[in-house]
Amino acid sequence: MAGKSSATPTTYSPSLSGQKKKRPSFLTDSDWVRPDGRGPHQCRPAFLRTGAVNSASGSAYAEFGNTKVIVSVFGPRESKKAMMYSDTGRLNCNVSYTTFATPIRGQAPETKDLSSMLHKALEGAIILKSFPKTTVDVFALVLESGGSDLPVITTCASLALADAGIMLYDMVASVSVSCIGKNLLIDPVSEEESYQDGSLMITCMPSRNEVTQMTVTGEWSTPKIHEAMQLCLDACSKLGKIMRSCLKEAASGPQD
Amino acid sequence: MVGLSLGEQNFIKGGIAQDLRTDGRKRLAYRPIFVETGVIPQASGSARVKLGATDVIASVKAELGKPNPSHPDKGKVSIYVDCSPTAEPTFEGRGGEELSTELSSALQRCLLGGKSGAGAGIDLSSLSIVEGKVCWDLYIDGLVVSSDGNVLDALGAAIKAALSNTVIPKVQVAANASSDEQPEVDVSDEEFLQFDTSAVPVIITLTKIGKHYIVDATTEEESQMSSAVSVSINRQGRICGLTKRGGAGLDPSIILDMISVAKHVSEQLINKLDSEIAAAEACEEETEMDS
Amino acid sequence: MASMGGPNDLSSEMELDAFRRLFPICFHERHLLESIRPDGRALGRARDTTLMLGAVASANGSALAKIGCTTMLAAIKLEVMTPTAEAPDEGCIAIDFHMPPICSPLVRPGRPAELAPVISKQLSDTILRQGIISGMINLKDLCLVSGKAAWMAYLDIYCLDADGALFDAALLSAVAAFSHLQIPVVSFNDDGRIVLISDDNSGAMKEKEPVNKEKIKLKLNNLPFSLTCILHKNYILADPTSEEESIMETFLTVVLDSSFQLVSLNKPGGPGLAHTSSIQECITLTRQRVKEVQKILQEAISDMEVD
Repeated sequence: MAGKSSATPTTYSPSLSGQKKKRPSFLTDSDWVRPDGRGPHQCRPAFLRTGAVNSASGSAYAEFGNTKVIVSVFGPRESKKAMMYSDTGRLNCNVSYTTFATPIRGQAPETKDLSSMLHKALEGAIILKSFPKTTVDVFALVLESGGSDLPVITTCASLALADAGIMLYDMVASVSVSCIGKNLLIDPVSEEESYQDGSLMITCMPSRNEVTQMTVTGEWSTPKIHEAMQLCLDACSKLGKIMRSCLKEAASGPQD
Repeated sequence: MVGLSLGEQNFIKGGIAQDLRTDGRKRLAYRPIFVETGVIPQASGSARVKLGATDVIASVKAELGKPNPSHPDKGKVSIYVDCSPTAEPTFEGRGGEELSTELSSALQRCLLGGKSGAGAGIDLSSLSIVEGKVCWDLYIDGLVVSSDGNVLDALGAAIKAALSNTVIPKVQVAANASSDEQPEVDVSDEEFLQFDTSAVPVIITLTKIGKHYIVDATTEEESQMSSAVSVSINRQGRICGLTKRGGAGLDPSIILDMISVAKHVSEQLINKLDSEIAAAEACEEETEMDS
Repeated sequence: MASMGGPNDLSSEMELDAFRRLFPICFHERHLLESIRPDGRALGRARDTTLMLGAVASANGSALAKIGCTTMLAAIKLEVMTPTAEAPDEGCIAIDFHMPPICSPLVRPGRPAELAPVISKQLSDTILRQGIISGMINLKDLCLVSGKAAWMAYLDIYCLDADGALFDAALLSAVAAFSHLQIPVVSFNDDGRIVLISDDNSGAMKEKEPVNKEKIKLKLNNLPFSLTCILHKNYILADPTSEEESIMETFLTVVLDSSFQLVSLNKPGGPGLAHTSSIQECITLTRQRVKEVQKILQEAISDMEVD
């Protein structure tokens, strides 16, 4: 890349001295104390705004604790790849991370996987028939990664799509739950995600009560899945309300 | 993409509604499974699974590596799937890439468990040799040779078979190694360890077509699906991973119902697969004896 | 074209937006005749500018700069390196400018914007110019222990919204990020690696002598500020939007430092030629702009200290 001296020396990020990384207390199966002092079933406060990027057709900014995401939507516009005629529209998703998104520089997770997960989460909610032959591009940039990145990206992307005026069946809201020992923790932060025994993520359309995407990792019993799903669905419908009020605010607020 | 006429589409959907599919199966019946192990001699373990016209190969390669600093007491496993361009016309060029990534991440989610390693089909701590210094790295590669639907389940079964075929050499660690040096290890070429695969789950994909869901869908049936849910379930009947594929939304209660159906199907599949793997292993040993 | 006079006649019959898209040059020139720009600015005025320091919690120094709609997020992360043999007592700064696909409809994933490396280079030239003494940062300040350890400052600037005058905004965010940068307290550990000392475990670490006693701010001298102008016919338009940039293609970027000395002057070709007098005028505009921006930076820094 330009701007770097020809021979970039190897560098390392200084770690915190003295203390060994504290072992998580879940090994004793006691109640997990969350690093940010939340209750186990309490989400981080969500801050959502539409219209973050002026040059895009629609955009949104989402901030959940330390997780900060911007999503821009472009289109419907001409498909760039030479493709066959299609009487439904196409959705193209891309997720990227800034180099400073993670505590240690340049340790961003695999974004190819996130992009395809975002695509799957959104495609069920978009009325693709409303823009035949064209493509809608959804680009996400994670400014800071503080845990539950994909759910935040998905939620923010759905808001950006609505802001761009793309026809949707419903907005999608996404929430994940981490399982640590016996505890189910909603909307986990990075630290909790690194200790988790399992995770469950649900993306759903709250007013249609339909799940567009769901992933589970780790070992779960059926009752536990029931419990976690219900937690996520409740949180999704709450989040859906926040998203709605955010859109209403943007529509009724003074245009500047 | 399968081009089906309206009549054919209705035939498939109508058949599924009446619990009689185009190839004569019931909704929850698998096609005959054919397992062959030890197909790649260079690999530490390998297997080929045929499910109707779907044909996949999985291989496991074990190499000595350095553990991740954040998990010094665990080995590493990576799963990668490649879709051969010959498997389906759409895989030509870079067409298979997207599916490859999707399958790889679905398999990782289903087999490797949570971040802490709980619920993993492969016990990563059994791969550790010297804590923080040396461990086994397992490279699991899947190859889709021919695709006629339900590739993920076939890959899951092939990986399970390949793992049970896997032997890892015994390792002697030189005792005199000081703490900060990389210890010397002696890889035995006579003694081997068998891999414990009892915890490896099977993957069951339920494809929703119309109001019903079917297992082991063919490509033709997959072209008619509205959505699909892949669940990985272990012998204890616990869910080890779940991915929803396909666009349309599903009611949460339907997902729960699908999970319980998958659980029911998994028991039969695990037993069937285990006996097939055992038969294949026996068959392999026999041929070795002969030669 | 047969009807060159056409656009002017049509202007009264056509909808404003259609005219703007079909005859952009006419549209803008008619504004310029009245000494005003489509967004209501005078020709020599820059857009409203805001600065926010400390926008990225995980970075050692960061700033968000907005000029009109153009938004830049700059963050500095410090890592430790072994200094080179040629300069054992100097740290290093690596500057990278990114244009992610979110910032503009012209950028698509997998194909980086042509402009990004150009601006990247311009920024490094401006910030790291002429080595050690006259530059904005003394690289010796980034040294921890001569010959053993020094800071490598990774400055990454992300364009979040591209609406013209990208270099101006990028430079402003970079300068602001350096003003916000705090060098953490560190010491050597037993393996000879540099480790951070946080406030709560400093007691336990008493036996280890920290390399630096407390968090320090970099000494910055002669901060550079820039203004990009469009030269079109006889007009000079300061701080262009992307629409103006796409229509009128002769740019002149002037960089002055805080004592109004000329740091760089860049006119990258373009169809128009620049008169000495118009260059003079651009420099005058930049002088005014520098005063304005300095004040904004000062305010942002004092806001930060109040918090």
